[in-house]
Amino acid sequence: MNRSWAFHFRILAVLAVLGIAAFPVYWMAVTSMTSSEELFAGSPRLLPDPAQIGTYARALVSTPLLTWLGNSLIIALGTTALSLLLAILPAYALSRMSFRGKLLLALGLFVTQMLPEAMLVVPLYDIFSRFALLDSLTGLILANTAFAVPVVTWILKGAIDGIPTEIEEAARIDGCSRVGIVLTIVLPLIAPTLAAVTVIAFFQGWNEYVFAQTFISDESLKVASVGLASFVGELSTPMDTVTAVGLTYTLPAVVFYLLVQRYIVAGMTSGGVKG
Amino acid sequence: MRNSVKIQTRRKDPARFLPYAFIAPLAAYLLIFHAYPLMQEFILSTTYTSLLDPSLREFVGLDNYRDVLGDPEFHKVLRITAIYTVICVSGGVGLGLLVALLLDFNFRGRGIARALVTIPWAAPPVAVALIFIWMFNAQFGIFNDILSGLGISAEPINWLDDPQRALPAVLFTTIWQIFPFSSVVILSALQGVQSELREAAIIDGADKLSVFKAVVWPTIRPTVAILALLLTVWSLRRFDVIWVMTQGGPLGETNTLVIDLYRRAFVYLDLGHAAAVGVIGVCTALVVTFIYFWLSARADRAAGK
Repeated sequence: MNRSWAFHFRILAVLAVLGIAAFPVYWMAVTSMTSSEELFAGSPRLLPDPAQIGTYARALVSTPLLTWLGNSLIIALGTTALSLLLAILPAYALSRMSFRGKLLLALGLFVTQMLPEAMLVVPLYDIFSRFALLDSLTGLILANTAFAVPVVTWILKGAIDGIPTEIEEAARIDGCSRVGIVLTIVLPLIAPTLAAVTVIAFFQGWNEYVFAQTFISDESLKVASVGLASFVGELSTPMDTVTAVGLTYTLPAVVFYLLVQRYIVAGMTSGGVKG
Repeated sequence: MRNSVKIQTRRKDPARFLPYAFIAPLAAYLLIFHAYPLMQEFILSTTYTSLLDPSLREFVGLDNYRDVLGDPEFHKVLRITAIYTVICVSGGVGLGLLVALLLDFNFRGRGIARALVTIPWAAPPVAVALIFIWMFNAQFGIFNDILSGLGISAEPINWLDDPQRALPAVLFTTIWQIFPFSSVVILSALQGVQSELREAAIIDGADKLSVFKAVVWPTIRPTVAILALLLTVWSLRRFDVIWVMTQGGPLGETNTLVIDLYRRAFVYLDLGHAAAVGVIGVCTALVVTFIYFWLSARADRAAGK
């Protein structure tokens, strides 16, 4: 009986923690589906009002939501593709090959993980202005990749470390090239980790704010993070519309993370954190 | 004769150069997008440069550093950065550890609970900042409604506009966002705790706290240490949540190093001083990393590893 009381108490505590974790996202949903009159009335509405679903249609019309999300998607996809392209072969080389400068590369990858984006924003702004990369989505992809690729390489290296070398040796005797081995044997074996780093790189691009805020002034090139931040302190857009935009931007991130979070955790702990 | 030797080495070459071919694009990328900007930042920090015309530079030596380090406002920035970092790391690790220990038992829906708890970490920081601004709103925010509902404060509290309360509000938001990461990482380390050892300790009559100290903590200590390093560096570099919530205000009470740097560059258009702050920040991040590795090497030696 005593034990069961402890158990139930613990379950209650778990539910409380989950409630705290989920509440702000839930509150975004509630606010987006509350009429303006009710938002500014005395007591808050605790459940979303289904009649207010029209807020989302209004958000589509009254804000450049689709343009923002489209630009964020381009940045996220570009960052993911470029990061994977740059990271896969070096991750393999770091795991399997010996070469001069290996330690230097490993150190470089580690140090760049420690460098703050915002601390490089000044020189990057200066460099980008000379190469016409300001006000360009390409520039943002290049900058985001610089901060996604070290962690992606590091996690992939950790995953490749976990594959026994014997599997590759048979293929090498058969005359398969190293690149062929990486593409046909190694990558399929680390598919879960590949999924995890894809998500990490994708959301580096999707979430990124400081570069997008600084490098882009053209309205048609604004990304969702900057668009959403532009509502702060601006009073003409109603709060239900603002939170509708916020939730539309947040939900894809949360859903994707929940789907692959198991692999992300495994990847971060084997490659990123313990490495 | 000479010719044939040359051909032989050439035949060997492809395999010998293969690793370099594999890493070359990445190495070049890191040089262009990290090493070169770092060098540029250092050069900028020794000049007077305005954002209005960055090509016009006047060499001023170490004057920018002297100005920044002698500026009482910058001392405040350092103090706030230290407070922000220490509370984020201790709050993030402490809360993360508590939640990890709470979730580390068998119950139905454990997988779903572990997934759901990561929601804050998965949400984009700008969206998090936005919804917390709304929840902290003095007149219509839910936090004040909760406080008055609990009978703690009937008067609406001003959070983000109050110099005394803005930093706590930003810290609350940040810790809410980062604790799931700590929990999930510590949870996976807890799987390494040997259940026989734990059971043996319980049979020996050890209470929960001593089991934690003797069995659980030694296993997860290295993970917690790396976690603390990651959270420290992330706190030093965090820009989006703070900038969107307060832009460093009110009265500079949330003005951390990166926020200060950004203000100097893009509000006051003074790239030289901003770059000097940037160099100081990069050095801080590197020094913290170095101290961490020095401490953990010493701890490993003390533990006899």
